[in-house]
Amino acid sequence: MKKTLLIISSLILLSGASCDDFLALEPTESAAAETAINTAADAGVAINGVMASMASSYYYGRDFFLYGDVKGGDVTIVSQGRGRDVLYSFNHSATSNAFGSFWSQIYYCLLQVNNLLENISRLEGEGKGSDELDNYKGQALTLRALMYFDLARLYGKPYTENGGASLGVPMPLAVLDVYAKETRKTVAENYTQILKDLKDGEALLPEKVSQGYIDYYANKAIQARVYLFMGNTTAALAAAEEIISDNEYALYENNKWVDSWSSEFGSESIFELGIYENEADLGTSSLGYYYMRLRKISGADGNFVASTGYISLLAEDPDDVRHGIMDYDETSNSRMGACNKYTGNDLKGDKGSPSAVNIKIIRLSEIYLIAAEAALPTDRDTAAYYLNQIRKRAPNLGKVTASEVSLDLILAEKSKEFYSEGLRFFDMMRLGRTVYFDDSLLWPAVIPHRSGSVDRSFYKAILPIPQAELDANPAIVSQQNAGYN
Amino acid sequence: MKTLKLLLCLWALWGAGSVAGQNRPVSGEVTENGYPLAGASVSVKGANAAVVTDAEGRYSISVPEGATLVFAFVGLKTEEVPVGAQAVINVSLWPDVTQLDDVIVVAYGTAQKSTFTGSAGVLTKEKVKDVPAVSFQTALSGRIAGLDVSSRSGQAGAAPEIRIRGTGSMNASNEPLYVVDGVPVSSGSAGQVSGILYANINNIMGTLNPADIESVTVLKDAAAAALYGSRAANGVVLIQTRRGQAGKPRIDFKASFGFTPSFATDNWEAASDAENLEMYYEMFYNSVITDTAPGADRSPAAASAAALAQLNKRFNKHGYTFSAPDNTYKSFTVGGQRAGTSFDWEKELLRTAVYQSYDLSVSGATAGTNYYTSLSWTKDQGRSVLNDYGRLSARLNLSQKVGKVFELASNVSVAKSTSTGFNDSRYMDGNPFMQTRNMLWGLYWPTDPVTGEDWTVRYGSYAYNMVYYNDEWDNGSNTLRVSAIEALTAHILPGLDLKTVLSYDNAHTAEWLYYSPNHHAGARVNGSIDNYSTNVNKMVSSTTANFNRAFGKHSVLLLAGFEVEKNLTDYQRASGTDLPTTALKSVATAGKKDATGYSWGQNMASILSKADYNYDNTYYLSGSYRRDGSSKLGKDTQWGDFWSVAGSWRVQEAILRHLPGFSNLRLRASYGVNGTLPTANYGHLALVSYTKKYMSNPGGTLASIPNPELSWETSYTANLALEFGVLGNRLRGTVEYFNRNSENLLQDVPISGVTGLSTTLSNIGVINNRGVEIELHGDIYNAHGFVWSAGLTAAFAKSKITELYGGQDIIWNEPVDARARYIYREGESPLSFYGLEWAGVDSGTGKNVWFLNNDKQADLTVDGKAATYDYSQASEIIIGKVDPKVFGGIYTTFSWKGLALDMNFNYKLGGHTYDAPGRDVTDDGYYWERIRSKDEYDNRWTPENPNAKYPMMNATDMEDVNQKSSRHLHSGSFIRLKNLLVSYTLPKHIAGKIGATGVRVYFSGSNLLTAAAYGVYDPEVGADGSKGWEMPLGKTYTFGLELSF
Repeated sequence: MKKTLLIISSLILLSGASCDDFLALEPTESAAAETAINTAADAGVAINGVMASMASSYYYGRDFFLYGDVKGGDVTIVSQGRGRDVLYSFNHSATSNAFGSFWSQIYYCLLQVNNLLENISRLEGEGKGSDELDNYKGQALTLRALMYFDLARLYGKPYTENGGASLGVPMPLAVLDVYAKETRKTVAENYTQILKDLKDGEALLPEKVSQGYIDYYANKAIQARVYLFMGNTTAALAAAEEIISDNEYALYENNKWVDSWSSEFGSESIFELGIYENEADLGTSSLGYYYMRLRKISGADGNFVASTGYISLLAEDPDDVRHGIMDYDETSNSRMGACNKYTGNDLKGDKGSPSAVNIKIIRLSEIYLIAAEAALPTDRDTAAYYLNQIRKRAPNLGKVTASEVSLDLILAEKSKEFYSEGLRFFDMMRLGRTVYFDDSLLWPAVIPHRSGSVDRSFYKAILPIPQAELDANPAIVSQQNAGYN
Repeated sequence: MKTLKLLLCLWALWGAGSVAGQNRPVSGEVTENGYPLAGASVSVKGANAAVVTDAEGRYSISVPEGATLVFAFVGLKTEEVPVGAQAVINVSLWPDVTQLDDVIVVAYGTAQKSTFTGSAGVLTKEKVKDVPAVSFQTALSGRIAGLDVSSRSGQAGAAPEIRIRGTGSMNASNEPLYVVDGVPVSSGSAGQVSGILYANINNIMGTLNPADIESVTVLKDAAAAALYGSRAANGVVLIQTRRGQAGKPRIDFKASFGFTPSFATDNWEAASDAENLEMYYEMFYNSVITDTAPGADRSPAAASAAALAQLNKRFNKHGYTFSAPDNTYKSFTVGGQRAGTSFDWEKELLRTAVYQSYDLSVSGATAGTNYYTSLSWTKDQGRSVLNDYGRLSARLNLSQKVGKVFELASNVSVAKSTSTGFNDSRYMDGNPFMQTRNMLWGLYWPTDPVTGEDWTVRYGSYAYNMVYYNDEWDNGSNTLRVSAIEALTAHILPGLDLKTVLSYDNAHTAEWLYYSPNHHAGARVNGSIDNYSTNVNKMVSSTTANFNRAFGKHSVLLLAGFEVEKNLTDYQRASGTDLPTTALKSVATAGKKDATGYSWGQNMASILSKADYNYDNTYYLSGSYRRDGSSKLGKDTQWGDFWSVAGSWRVQEAILRHLPGFSNLRLRASYGVNGTLPTANYGHLALVSYTKKYMSNPGGTLASIPNPELSWETSYTANLALEFGVLGNRLRGTVEYFNRNSENLLQDVPISGVTGLSTTLSNIGVINNRGVEIELHGDIYNAHGFVWSAGLTAAFAKSKITELYGGQDIIWNEPVDARARYIYREGESPLSFYGLEWAGVDSGTGKNVWFLNNDKQADLTVDGKAATYDYSQASEIIIGKVDPKVFGGIYTTFSWKGLALDMNFNYKLGGHTYDAPGRDVTDDGYYWERIRSKDEYDNRWTPENPNAKYPMMNATDMEDVNQKSSRHLHSGSFIRLKNLLVSYTLPKHIAGKIGATGVRVYFSGSNLLTAAAYGVYDPEVGADGSKGWEMPLGKTYTFGLELSF
């Protein structure tokens, strides 16, 4: 009897002693959000989180580049159903193939950025500001600008079409309440904020190179791109020329060009996203596999090949160094439609793997071509100079003169240089040009969702607001892009 | 007191004397199951004259005029026979399966079934032990009204899903709580590989040997389950393991051997190679003749050439050539060195599966000690040549009285189970069932026709040479489960017991997934090996005081106590790539290594109490109250109160007499509150996760926006039941009505993606489940040694969402691979299929037709409804629901002497299943390289078959078949002979000759007969009603032998 009572009372003591702690458990692999960012080092960890989120397959890790290339006419497909080919066939609607993952992933990245910026403000308010913290703030602001720039181009009509009068994207600048229902701003409003963030960021970033992260030059390079997309050639030229004249970066020599695809952080890399094994490595779903020849290695599905138009363009000079990264494709051993930019020709990428390969988002060559294009209306000599710096990669073509230089030549050069680097389609839409598709490799050649050519008047030149957003946010329903409702 | 005794004696003497003059003898034989029954008591009702039958079952008794004889024997049903003018009365006694005064296991104790105020179903060991399944859950099928057992997969070791009274939650679990020997245990799936390969194999309950089970009690209503509080909303399954019986040690040995040579039904049977070639030719041929491009060559010659080109491209390398000289299929000829032969992949990849199981137990009891100990070994094979399951288990249940006060009980079990080669997924190429039905042409060979070497390159999408690759990969899982339950009971005062229980339950699952450098999935990284270790620990301590006392006609039971529970799971993964040799499969040898490890858990603290009262065994009242605190919720919401009240009335004899035919009548009613906790352990916290690294540095991301108000789901259940017995209880049953409102349901409420997140978990939404459950049992015939009884269970239930956040629909996809789409909508079932409404096939063109269900311009009308040829113009609607109108089981037992025949059917009427493999096997031309089903071949549109079920095949018809639509929705109605048992028990005197006290041999057949409304695939399906490429259920034939000494 006594024993029983003893046992029972000790049990009561054991179990009841610390009831509060007993019922307050925290995970072992995550931290409470309110205490997560308290130092500059914590802000650095948060920046890593943003960069890693940008490397998602739904953003810079794969889809955003595919969107820019596969719709741009330089790329075609041999067979439907190999993955991501609906980008090529423009088979988009709000409910199917809406690529709503762009919407969710980029806003997810923006949540991280806004959360970081709010925490930095709090730390500044607590007197914990520092140069290091300023640097992270500058990076965060620049990244926010880049993300809204990308969203505005995916979902809004080009700024140049009507001065930004059409609808852009919702634009929260702080962490939203979970039940917030934001509506779309105009493209012009988006670009105003983008420029503001870029300028604010520029002021905070030191003028030195930081590989794998946003630095001062990456900020400037994004400014050059943004101004070009707004048709502000003066500002675009100024930004581009500042980067060029600072000489922190150098164009690849012709004999180094092919090898540049086998190493990370080359001399041209202004903004490069690190893709490491066991991080954002997409394996057989990576860009490298998508552009590789069908079954070149196990898991290569031959998703995309170069269009015949692109192959002929590059064939203007058989000695063009850029042939060096092309490979024959599945259709014949002479059609050089496969591309090894993301794997290197040895399939070892930049770190020994065909899929854990950094993604070069902005290279110096692009800055030269932005400079060429921006100079063209006012200074043909300068335009020709910048173009020729890239054009010399086709040694037999010779320099263009100030009188010969043209937008067509600059765009053709950009095509040759930036195949599979996510630029083409956006340039074509910005300039109001028509994209012609090469459907000849397909059999049966039936693409019911678009015609053989597309320009920015086609409603599918921009994406629909995804159905999930319309369902959860009734306020935005009336703002669906025309043609999708 | 003495006076009273004297009076009684006198009265008895007087009574006996007063009728002595008219007494006459009656004699006869008492039998059970055709055998003489020795030791049965035969008495005169209302008098104290009684005799006992002799060894031959014979008796002789002297009875007065108008007497009624009462025949009784422990374990058999008491029989009353009016003597009338008879001189010989032979009686055959019924086995009493559900005796009214059976003691059943209930929450924190036991109760007499006849006095229990809650709703509970009981299954005894006899019903559990002969079903050749590795988990007892399979044996529950069709046995208890309102309990739905859904078998999703036929893989070795796969466990069914169990739903009690429908779906009560959208986000949290719908599985019941399992309680073994009074202690809540871990259930569901442990381990990680099951998630990767989508196979429900690590069922922790599968570590419990069915032969160790004494009884299974299913608690259905709040009165029965509320004492389990926040975990009881989905019902509770109580399992009692076996104990010894008084007497000398008893040894039981059981061996069974079974085989599964075929599936239980057709399952998307593939068309023949010739038929598939014809369809292949036809789809390309059609694509050319229907080409609408201006200037296209639509001639038969061009069409045939295109089709032959595709065939030659695909199969030349395998040793086949094709021609069609007259440009139609009529002249289609196959040539090449392998012409006329094909490879039988099914024979290569599927097999006759073998099942073996051996159980040995020793049990017994003396005055102070009760023991049961067992050892069991089971080996089960799946029909896939890769898929094996094994289990070794041992148990010791021991209880010992110490002095007059204490009783110590210890139940310890150890079980090790091993599964290998499982794969139920659609996207992994190692699923042999899908491969043989949809991927592997007979024209594909495992060797190259020219070189004779292994064929290693891919045949077509997701189709590889499994003969070669099966040796180049490996997966498996070992689970070791140790469970110890220690209970100390102190009988402090008469009627007052104190009981404290400590339990430790540990399941450690070690899994591996290996791809050799030669395997296509491992080649990229030069071979890979992943080892996962998941260690689930559960510690429960409960202490209860129990007071049980009768005062005259009043009796009272009071219980109060507390319970704490601690759950902790440790997880580690070690991975390696770049393996040096195909001979070694360990991470240690890998060139590159990667690892992770963390832990998670949840705790709970509770107090509990209940009170039962009964007056004169006629009126019963009971109430229970439990307060739970859980670490899964924030400070402000973590304590919850759960309670129930119940009452019942047994109609007194005096009233019953006026109801002709009725021998028993009882009414009971209950109402109460249960809860369900969120699935997530830390859902109330805003967390930054560090799962994302960037350039070898840690990265942190905000993973959720917190919801500090997160709380339990609460369900309110009302239950009303009528129990009845008629014709001397030969026909008895229960009719039960329940109404369960599940409120504050957790939902992943979709939110604007602009916030950066897509959903937030909130307590919003109400689901109502209500219905009527019927259980009937009839003792139909018992004479001349034949005994026949039968019964049925039926549940008519309706499930409806009554409230959602803002009344807003939530569309969701089947979570594993989005193979089916559902919608949550107010007023509709929580398992409503959502999709396009298919209008069939246009007989003129062979095209798919879709009902618009919107105001857009129609292309045509079908049955008076606007329709279109373009699915993208049509709108999605609710196309059907999973819920059957009625489901349950039918069973019958027939015995003659030692021979018995048991049949157990389960059935569902109404409701739909979603045929996700339909998009693969009845494809219109999207998947060029796949084989199609016989169903597609027989029912596709051709000019000769214009009123076809499926459209014209066309290689440019890309997408229609992939839409989530009513085209893939079929009736889920079926009835199945789930189990058939033929057994023979040797007469005791013959068994005695070999020294045994019992010998029994049996044959058991599972899934032998099925009648389904839609016959293309097995109608048994997981709880969500979606069919995928899981290994179907097989027809299993099992032979068993039982010996007792």
